[in-house]
Amino acid sequence: MTPAPAREEPEDADGAAHVADLMPMLRRIVAARVGQHPAAEDIVQETLLRVLTAEDRIEPGMLEPYAITTVRNVIATMWRKQDRDARNQHRVHDPSEPEDAEELVVASEEQSAISVALSRLADRERQILLAHEVSGRATQSLADETGSTAGAVAAQLKRTRARMRVEYVLALEGVEPPTDRCRPVLLALSSADRRRQREVDAPRHLLECEVCARLSEPLMGRGPVRTDEIHVPIGADPDIVAARQAARELASRAGFTGTDLTMLATAVSEVARNIVRFASSGEVSIELLDRPRAGIRVVARDTGPGIGDLDRALEDGFSTYNGLGLGLPGSRRLMDEFDITSEPGQGTTVSMTKWIDRKG
Amino acid sequence: MNSGPALVSILRQGDTLVASVHTALDDSEMVRFQNDLVRQIGEYRARGVIIDVAALDVIDSFASRTLQTIADIARLRGAVTVIVGIQPEVAFAMVRLGMGMGEVATALDLEEGMAHLAGLRGSGARRE
Ligand SMILES: [Zn+2]
Repeated sequence: MTPAPAREEPEDADGAAHVADLMPMLRRIVAARVGQHPAAEDIVQETLLRVLTAEDRIEPGMLEPYAITTVRNVIATMWRKQDRDARNQHRVHDPSEPEDAEELVVASEEQSAISVALSRLADRERQILLAHEVSGRATQSLADETGSTAGAVAAQLKRTRARMRVEYVLALEGVEPPTDRCRPVLLALSSADRRRQREVDAPRHLLECEVCARLSEPLMGRGPVRTDEIHVPIGADPDIVAARQAARELASRAGFTGTDLTMLATAVSEVARNIVRFASSGEVSIELLDRPRAGIRVVARDTGPGIGDLDRALEDGFSTYNGLGLGLPGSRRLMDEFDITSEPGQGTTVSMTKWIDRKG
Repeated sequence: MNSGPALVSILRQGDTLVASVHTALDDSEMVRFQNDLVRQIGEYRARGVIIDVAALDVIDSFASRTLQTIADIARLRGAVTVIVGIQPEVAFAMVRLGMGMGEVATALDLEEGMAHLAGLRGSGARRE
């Protein structure tokens, strides 16, 4: 092992050049240990990807030692897996190292998920991602080559990484998205792009699609924690109270007071109850707005039977339960803006907004 | 048949029942409260019922409706109901919602509610 070479200035602000500098050293280490094994190059790539994902956490000057440790682990994992596979040809169950074996399976599944995800990118996406993150090409240099700008290349890299995460999670779970809408929704979540999430109506899709609901957790877990939006699942009576209390809390943090708070909480209570009574399950999301001015938006979504006659549902006194029909028209009067869409068999979405600077 | 000590309390003062709602109730809890109260009206032969809702930060259509139902049932069983303690913001929202208290008597607080019941008794009236 040669001592760490004098550090060169990174070409790129994100330091990707340093990670790419590790490549020759990694190739030497891998060749020394596995020779011309067909997996040699995969091991190098796998190591680079692991180092890249950990880069933010690595102390300056520790990149090389970290990469060396990582490549040894990757190689050891591969040998142990091959060894285990060989033994398991004879033995179905090996009680000597049960936990370790499980760990190995997880590690190799992650590894193959990374390869699958890379292979699912468009060729051009993959080339740019690898050129930047593995070969260490600066965004400016990539931009010059394609007659683009560094900003545009950076934006494309960001989209590609988001797509890579989606494909990685899909490969890891071993599922194929059940609908055409799944990938656009997952991508909007992965890139933490709120405008896009609204365009593809991601919250509704997550209610309707079990697969995406499950995958959304690891994808959204990577984004910053949102403190200006709350989703309350609605399935039973206590959720009605939970939804209106959540709305009140968020709104009072945003500066709503007195009567406005009470009107908001009352309207949330009504739309949440509609979900429990008519649809049995759905969600209420509450979001703070700062444009065009400070306010709060409440969206109640359900996957129920839908409302056949919207005009009638908005008349006072109309209801199919309990002889009580103030839910929707009453909520409309309590809020500043009110909109409802309903698709028979698909469900209902009620969107309502209250602005903050209007005193009730 | 217990709505739990933390949510609601129902106390007897002579022939009057004083029910205090201590915290937000969901719909099922509201219905349980209604059933408990109606049962006790019969059990104690109450003539007056005061329901203190000062702790409620929201009275939505279901809560309004349930309070009115309690008052209707109580009336049929010979008791007068007064709702006390509706907060000003809550009252405002109820009006916007389109939900008043209908024919049910209301008073500012417990004391006023008691005075209202005493007044009815003094005049010999048995209506609200
Ligand atoms: Zn989906």
